[in-house]
Amino acid sequence: MKTVVITGASSGIGLEISRLLARKGFNVLGVGRSEANCRRAEEMILSGNANAKFTCYVADLMQQREVVKVADEILSYLDGNCNGELHALINNAGCVRSWYMTTEEGYEQQFALNHLAGFLLTYKLLPALKKARGRVIMTGSQSHKGIRIHWNDVMLRRRYNPLTAYKQSKLCNILFAKGLNDRYASAGIRAYVVDPGLVNTDIGNKETGALVNFIWSLRKRHGVSPEIPAKTYAFLCEQEPTPEGLYYYLCKEKSYSRQVTAENANRLFGLSERLCGIHYGEVQSL
Amino acid sequence: MNVMITGAAGGLGRAFADECGSRGYNLFLTDINDDGLQCIKRGLERQFNITVVTKACDLTNAESVDNMLDFIDRHEIRFDMLLNVAGLDYEGDFIGRERENLVKIVLLNNAATLRITHAVLKRRIPGRNFTIVFVSSLASMFPMPLKATYAASKRFLLDFATSLRQELKDENVNVLTLCPGGMVTTQAAMSGIRAQGFWGNATTSPLETVARNTIDRALAGKSVYVPGKLNQALAFLGKVIPRSWVAAVVYWRWKEVSGRGLIS
Repeated sequence: MKTVVITGASSGIGLEISRLLARKGFNVLGVGRSEANCRRAEEMILSGNANAKFTCYVADLMQQREVVKVADEILSYLDGNCNGELHALINNAGCVRSWYMTTEEGYEQQFALNHLAGFLLTYKLLPALKKARGRVIMTGSQSHKGIRIHWNDVMLRRRYNPLTAYKQSKLCNILFAKGLNDRYASAGIRAYVVDPGLVNTDIGNKETGALVNFIWSLRKRHGVSPEIPAKTYAFLCEQEPTPEGLYYYLCKEKSYSRQVTAENANRLFGLSERLCGIHYGEVQSL
Repeated sequence: MNVMITGAAGGLGRAFADECGSRGYNLFLTDINDDGLQCIKRGLERQFNITVVTKACDLTNAESVDNMLDFIDRHEIRFDMLLNVAGLDYEGDFIGRERENLVKIVLLNNAATLRITHAVLKRRIPGRNFTIVFVSSLASMFPMPLKATYAASKRFLLDFATSLRQELKDENVNVLTLCPGGMVTTQAAMSGIRAQGFWGNATTSPLETVARNTIDRALAGKSVYVPGKLNQALAFLGKVIPRSWVAAVVYWRWKEVSGRGLIS
């Protein structure tokens, strides 16, 4: 039985991916922020399917110490039950903010959750991914286009615009995936980004101000059901031979921003490594 | 530049730490929450090339403060700036609050602030300019029924700071009082602001901008900083309208907000 880890699994897109992969026979380990939502997600998925395997860990991945804590819990589970192998890691947890708000480390929250949390969690779970020649999938967004990384002020402290921060964090997802492939494709690990499209979830209604809340409430009505993008994640988890693309929409490769270069990916790796206090391996020349 | 920040592990204190870090200032951070201090220290050192020293301390406890001062003296740390951020509030009607919680407001917002200000003023770097910031509140401008103790404690800071500023003018010390409206510092603060509807949003200022402007103004020798044009207008009204009228309006307003069941 293949094991997958999905963050942001207790609601929205993550919940649907978990449901779908559990139905397809994966052993699914979810991570959610609220205990109540995690238990509810477990009940929803397990009650519909007696054979499903789904456990939801509670962690606020915005805070680095919680990422480290849950990663250790997952690793010891994998060692005990899965021969230390992780088939796929889906870094899906994300948020939208209306104001400049910071984590315990003083990092801007959208950057910290949408990018750094996945960056650190992937690093922690790397041994298990290597063992299974696993796949890493990020939840991206079409909004990553038409923007650059603000290298001089990556947290946008000087002139905070919530939408810019969101878009930039989604560009970081693709740069991270590219950087991972540059480093670990030779070790059998592949990284992808999924564009879920406009999906009817509550992302813009959680801890946002009146304006973002209102706009998102109108906008999400035009979104598709989370079941639609979930299929693309399942495709990337299951497809053999291993897909070679980077950015996927509706199970097909899609073009991405020209900002996605090896130079930018390396620069983001250097910066993120410093902000997480870790060090990935060097780029492998293929 | 060596800066001490109290209440540095969360909200405005953390925003100040971040702002000072980006300016390359060395930091001495204190808070009651040691885990939080360790996290922000890590975050700052990874982002900026500065020295960050932390010491957990309960500022309402004289012994705890003495321990911290011993630590400071042992390491011969001296300061150019003090940002008095630590403070707290328990909202709601006076009679309905826990007695000791009410006293705690004054113990931290006032007594502890005096204690630390006195101690740090004695630990200035000789011959250099010194800057103190007191974090008061827009609430200091009005009598505020249902936030009576808090508003009065913030008024204490405003008046005290104004006097201290005069006393220390000839010693190259500048004292600035920050009187912000709402700021999105925590989830609780955000729900509070949302509960107030339009006025909540209109009187809210971006945290990172307030932090930046406060340091700029304090260094430029300004005395009071009220962020936001609307807040400045409200502060002005607080000075010209009879205080009993203000109290009546504020009471009606806060009662309505808490009546929606959104503020305890």
